[in-house]
Amino acid sequence: MTPFSLVAPASVDEAVAALRSDAAAGILAGGTDLLLDLDEGRTRAERLVSLRRLPWRTLDWTGEALAIGSTLPLRELEDDPDVRRRLPGLWQAVRAVGSVALRHRATIGGNLGRAAPASDLIPVLLTLDAEIELVGPAGTRTLPVDRFVLASRRTALGPAELIRSVRIPAARASAYRWQRVRPANDISQLAVAVARVAADGGWRVAVGGIPPRATLLPDVAEALGRGRPTDAALRAAADRASRDVALVADRRASEEYRRRLVGTLLRRAVADGLGGGGPA
Amino acid sequence: MTAAPATLRVNGATVALTPVPDDERLLDTLRWRLGLLGTKEGCRTGDCGACTVLVDGRSTLACLTLTHEIPGTEVLTIEAAGVDPDLERARAAFARASALQCGYCTPGFVLALTGMLKERGRDAPADELLDALQGNLCRCTGYAAIARAVAALRAEAP
Amino acid sequence: MSVSFRPDAAAKLAGAAQYGTDLAAPGMLWGALVGAPVAHGRLRAVDLAPARALPGVVAVGSAELDALIPGGGRDADRPLFAVREIAYRNQPVAAVAAPTLAAARRAAAAVRVEVEGAPAVVDLETIFPEWPGSGAAGSPHVIAHVRARHGDVAAELRRAEHVVEETYRTPSVHQVALEPHACLATVGDGIWHVATSTQSPFGVREDVSSLLGIPEASIVVEGTWVGGGFGGKGSSLLEPFALLLARAAGRPVRLALDYRSEFELGRTTLPSVIRLTTGVTDGAIVARRVRLLLDVGSSLPGRDFATGYSIGFLLGPYRTPAFEVEGYGIRTNKPPFGPHRAPFAPQCVFAVESHLNEVARVAGLDPVEFKARHLWKEDDATPLGQRVLAFGLPAALEHARAVARRWRAEAAPGEGVGIGLGFWSTSTGAGGEVRLLLTPEAVTVEQGEREIGSGSVLRGLAAVAERALGLPADRIRIAYADTARAPFDSGVYGSRTTGALGRAILEAAESLQATLAKRIAGEGPVTLVVRDGELVVARAGRSSPVRELLRPDEVERGIVAAGRHYGRGGSIDEARVVDGTFYPYTDFTGAAHVAWVAVDPETGAVRVRRYAAFHDAGTVIDPATARAQIEGGIAMGLGIALTEEAIWSEDGRLTNPHLLDYRIPTLGEVPIPEVTFVEGFPGAGPFGAKGLGEPPIIPVPATVAAAVREASGAHVTELPLTPERVARALKLL
Repeated sequence: MTPFSLVAPASVDEAVAALRSDAAAGILAGGTDLLLDLDEGRTRAERLVSLRRLPWRTLDWTGEALAIGSTLPLRELEDDPDVRRRLPGLWQAVRAVGSVALRHRATIGGNLGRAAPASDLIPVLLTLDAEIELVGPAGTRTLPVDRFVLASRRTALGPAELIRSVRIPAARASAYRWQRVRPANDISQLAVAVARVAADGGWRVAVGGIPPRATLLPDVAEALGRGRPTDAALRAAADRASRDVALVADRRASEEYRRRLVGTLLRRAVADGLGGGGPA
Repeated sequence: MTAAPATLRVNGATVALTPVPDDERLLDTLRWRLGLLGTKEGCRTGDCGACTVLVDGRSTLACLTLTHEIPGTEVLTIEAAGVDPDLERARAAFARASALQCGYCTPGFVLALTGMLKERGRDAPADELLDALQGNLCRCTGYAAIARAVAALRAEAP
Repeated sequence: MSVSFRPDAAAKLAGAAQYGTDLAAPGMLWGALVGAPVAHGRLRAVDLAPARALPGVVAVGSAELDALIPGGGRDADRPLFAVREIAYRNQPVAAVAAPTLAAARRAAAAVRVEVEGAPAVVDLETIFPEWPGSGAAGSPHVIAHVRARHGDVAAELRRAEHVVEETYRTPSVHQVALEPHACLATVGDGIWHVATSTQSPFGVREDVSSLLGIPEASIVVEGTWVGGGFGGKGSSLLEPFALLLARAAGRPVRLALDYRSEFELGRTTLPSVIRLTTGVTDGAIVARRVRLLLDVGSSLPGRDFATGYSIGFLLGPYRTPAFEVEGYGIRTNKPPFGPHRAPFAPQCVFAVESHLNEVARVAGLDPVEFKARHLWKEDDATPLGQRVLAFGLPAALEHARAVARRWRAEAAPGEGVGIGLGFWSTSTGAGGEVRLLLTPEAVTVEQGEREIGSGSVLRGLAAVAERALGLPADRIRIAYADTARAPFDSGVYGSRTTGALGRAILEAAESLQATLAKRIAGEGPVTLVVRDGELVVARAGRSSPVRELLRPDEVERGIVAAGRHYGRGGSIDEARVVDGTFYPYTDFTGAAHVAWVAVDPETGAVRVRRYAAFHDAGTVIDPATARAQIEGGIAMGLGIALTEEAIWSEDGRLTNPHLLDYRIPTLGEVPIPEVTFVEGFPGAGPFGAKGLGEPPIIPVPATVAAAVREASGAHVTELPLTPERVARALKLL
């Protein structure tokens, strides 16, 4: 690890200025991933800009829409009873991240910004049509999560830009299912997130746990049809998923095993996703 | 790299620290600056939970927390004696159940349980209390005595 | 503080127990090792100058040894630093120390190491693609060869009604003591002093002496509280380097591993390939052939214990009229093989128990009934011709079968109940000694070990002393001292501590009673009792307070009595040994385990719902401590069974040197086991005790595998039983 210095700006403007003055600076939210990577030499930064003084530890429901401040610790997201009730897929995914102690510091913005290939949150946020609100030198802009996360450890974050919040447009029946070698405190070998769009009963399906990044599977969603899928539709969707998804082998699982898991986890997630959540 | 003074409250007392390097972890501040060696260093990668302490009542991995990121907070470690009733409850439960062997993971477990008592209360379901311990690894006990400690704690809850 | 049966609970729950990682001294430097950047090759040059150019840095390599230890005759077979050949990645080539840890790490990185890399030898099956066996004899990679036989195996297998041949594979597993290795060295006034977290202070002394070429009389090893050992802290690892740095610096030096290095440098169980061939006629085993390829890493010839010891477990505790076993210790570019709680036994037992289940299936027999019929009984002979002593495993199996019947009746579809059997023997080690000090207040046991967590020292020895002297627990104290002051003992390993040192305590207690008998008149046995708060010696109606029996020279320390125990072993029929060393058993201990598992038919994921263990531990000396050992051993065994494997890349790099990808069980994966002792089969320890540190881990992988097979039909022949491996066995892939 190389030594680094730390600044904790008191305002967004100061934070942006700090990042502008040092293009190589790292952005520190909870630090649970960044500090580890700095230790292991996977990331290098001589300066960290901490977001701890920014007023972004927020969680706001506006009707069916949810805005999550980027520095909100995951544990607080998990503890919001409406998140659990109305966005069960998100709640399950948050619970899949690390331990309670880790979730006390890990943030949603950090999870997105670090863009780990096996992120448990990104697949679910994809199915929820989440949007990422960014703030930077040119003001604010909003990107759908699908266009924000580009690849493993790569995002569309511009120079001196920060994630301010994650916006979920509407509560959705949803579910997140994963498979791991060890159930607790492990990285998912494969994960499937599903959500049902209240307006038309159609599905969103995303797969995660495989490099380079989580992806939406619109054809699989289409195959599920609307509302409760028939057994035939479910089979067709599972077949499609295991055929379509670009899978790779790594030290956590072989390609064949992942292919086997896609259909299974999809069926289980759909069954679970039918069960609950969505508009109050 | 720079260093600045830092102020924390540790185990009920205010601690003014001489300049602490910006990249110093809370774990190292506690162990090597304050001599509070009861907080253990295990993996240092956030995977074992041995360094768990409370920061403002919430269980926190001291190995993945920068000291300068938690200014003015209240830190609770295993050395706190008679300061925090939840810590004493958790400690007594571990003692009664002899829920330790080599003892290296023990401070982390006790603090994680203490944190859960604060978050969820003593009458929280046992599985919620145990959920807080899922991030703490123990290689000696097989967790059986630890689960008994938690169960006994629950049995005593009013 | 509430009452605990563990006397160390108060200190450990207050954060007051000092471990190796807590060691520090005024003016100390922090050390770091410089490791080889490749797993195999030639070391061309080590240039310490860039490190030494940094402020406050001390650096040592093999070139400095002579200047630092003049005339020290160092072990030429076992050089401290890599000299010419690099045997494994990260093998120490130099060591540095600096005023801070960060500075030490920078200094280590600054050392220039020039190497000429060579292809690493890593994988057993790449070395011997035509396995089994062909080419192994005479291969330069073989550093140990053991072979034993009895009867005409080839002829028996030809005649047998059924012959089953299978190959099993087991990976490298790590001890994962949560405390990494750590020590603090100080050199001055002719004394080389090292405080360290170790399972064997005297073993470290011996190692340091031979590695550095310093007489044992000049070395003092002081143990700390140990944050878990499991075999990994049984001999020296960091101590010689720390001492050398302290000598060079003229200041104390602390040397500790970070957890990555703990994985990379730790000596532990390495991979194996096991081929088993069994012939059965009329429901009876007629012959077994065993071939073992065991990766022993960069162990040195003549230092491989594992191959000869473990191979006996591949015959199982079963009568086998004709057998042939042959094992090869294969040298690879990994750290040397080292002990891990019951070294390599859980792996062997997994193979042999799973194999017998398959043999029974092929022969159309009930596997448990089949095993029960062949299980050793007292006075049977082992395959190597040793007489079986008191052995509770047959009785334990009957208990296990009863539980399995009940659980099977409750199990849902997709669930299964399996039984696994394991046996073991208490090691005596190189022996040990104790002293008992009788004062007016208490009896103190002076001994040379530190408590590693199992309770074998602070509860095991205390309980033996309580029972031997008839005193309550609060009148027995366990004293710890460094190697200059404590009586010798060979170490806390091999499930031996309570047994071997306990026997020494019995001898010392007898000696103490004989001394007291001379000081108090009367006839008959002498006893110690507590009266009005003080210790009193009683004999046939007479009594006298201890304080009145002390001689002037005993006022300080009390009345001293010494005891020793330098083990005993059985003997094997050497005529059956063809090559290498095989080991007899001191006693026969064993356990029957029962697992109830659920197998996900679509993903292969295994969940252990319930677990029961029936142990023959001879006479149980301290039930609460014994139970805790079993609970912990089962959890550790579940890791070997289900999730743990250290994976080495082709170029000899450990790919998962951290606790995220090297997965030990967490609280949610381990059920609270039901533990029962099967008593009445005394062993070699005090009052008939048998060692219990290692036996609980041994049957676990076999038991889980049997349950998985019953639940799902998956016959898995490679550890661990990850979801993917089970899915493959289920032909889901």
